[in-house]
Amino acid sequence: MADAVVLEGVAVVYEGERTPAIRDVDLRVAHGEHVVVVGPNGSGKTTLLEAINGMLPATAGRVTVLGMDVASEGGRVRARVGYVLQDVQADPMDPFLARDVVMMGRAGRIGVLRWPRREDQEAVDRSIAAMGLSQLAGRPVGKLSGGELQRLMLARAMAQGPDVMLLDEPLAHLDVDARAHARAALEGWRAAAGATVVEVSHDLGGVPATADRIVVLEEGRVVMDGPRDAVLASDRLRATFPQWGALRA
Amino acid sequence: MLDLTTGFLLTVLSGTALAAYVCSAAGVFVVRMGLTAIGFTMSHAAFAGAAFALWAGVEPVAGALAFAVTTALALGPLAERARLRAEVMLGFLFSLLMALGFMFLAMLPGEAASGVALRIVWGSVFSVGRYDVLYLVALACALLTFDLAFRKELMAVLFDRRLATASGVDARAFTYAILVLTGLAVALSLRLVGGLLVFALIINPASTALQFLDDMKRVLWAAPAVGLATSLGGLLLSLAWDLPVGSAIIIVSALVLAAAIVVSPRRRRAPVPPVAT
Repeated sequence: MADAVVLEGVAVVYEGERTPAIRDVDLRVAHGEHVVVVGPNGSGKTTLLEAINGMLPATAGRVTVLGMDVASEGGRVRARVGYVLQDVQADPMDPFLARDVVMMGRAGRIGVLRWPRREDQEAVDRSIAAMGLSQLAGRPVGKLSGGELQRLMLARAMAQGPDVMLLDEPLAHLDVDARAHARAALEGWRAAAGATVVEVSHDLGGVPATADRIVVLEEGRVVMDGPRDAVLASDRLRATFPQWGALRA
Repeated sequence: MLDLTTGFLLTVLSGTALAAYVCSAAGVFVVRMGLTAIGFTMSHAAFAGAAFALWAGVEPVAGALAFAVTTALALGPLAERARLRAEVMLGFLFSLLMALGFMFLAMLPGEAASGVALRIVWGSVFSVGRYDVLYLVALACALLTFDLAFRKELMAVLFDRRLATASGVDARAFTYAILVLTGLAVALSLRLVGGLLVFALIINPASTALQFLDDMKRVLWAAPAVGLATSLGGLLLSLAWDLPVGSAIIIVSALVLAAAIVVSPRRRRAPVPPVAT
């Protein structure tokens, strides 16, 4: 079976910039694999995720997701790819109920001119329950805490029922208990759905034990790519994360 | 009080109700999506277009439609790429369109034309004809269908365009559709409310509904209801005291919005944002 995500020689240059945010990126992620992309701030991690789902067009190279060319089939790709953004904020006056926000995640999957059916409602309720938010489903999003909102965004992405999940620092705003609960829920979902996960973290300590592979980005380039434990044990990692080397020593 | 025939009164009542519906339904999207500056510019483009059409001897509604929709289609991509900030649009385009509008009106020949010109500026119940009502019926049906057919996509776009795009919704296409529908609503309401005031009919009802409701699904029907009530209230005041209808409608809707802001339970619950230092 072909890989779920394939990047071949991908570069992304932001409008008005001369230096690519990512360049010469070759990456293959197998179906069901959990890959964590690590790198310092500004190394191009979020750009990489948005090149995968086509929200940022690749300036060079080719991105294929689930056999579809992202450049020409971006909408279809995004309907099957969940994406949890790094920093979603809600205004206290936002007039949206938490459950409605989770249902929005399924909009692309349900399709144009179709109404949510029973299975869609059930998927939404399951995701909300998995993230421990059932009590808050009827509450306006503006009244949720930062951590609750982040769990809501995870529930929204899970409710989409994606084949590929892109996670951008998904647990950054959560306390220790909420982080453990959300990680367990994510893992449970991934195991049941058999989904592919590409997760971004600036913190090596945040790499989950369940990750299959670690890809290290530095100044927009892939400088390491290998099995989780091998990469974490590597001396090369000290060059990118000097503090990590100090911690290990 | 004006002495009006039943047929005329029905035309005016239905025209007012329909203009209120299309403007306030479009207004929910404009207010929530932060398109106020674009909408404001469009309303003045419609005014300039109507004035141009009068000067050129063409039906004013056609000119208003052409200018408003062209502005919507031109400003959408510009705003999307953040090349044109809201204050630039207001400062540059708004003043230019106003200047163009008044220039075309000044160039109209004859005394009779000045009355027509004033109606475009301030609106008038006497400007509303049967065809205006028919156009507004068509637009109201289009807006209602748009809302019902694409409700889940619109909810996603209204919440966050970026997240909507990430979920596979074509947020750009929906944003352009909203801009065009708003341009049509502005242009077709111009005769009744006037080019200088029509935008308030877009902003005020949606802003009033948002003072009370936590649920966008309810805002989507409450805003048109508020628009309908304030517009009909303004129309009745206008007919009773022989006031300019556009001014009467906007004063009523502005007073209702001001009262809503004062008593808003949501605003009282929301924390006060920190003052920038």
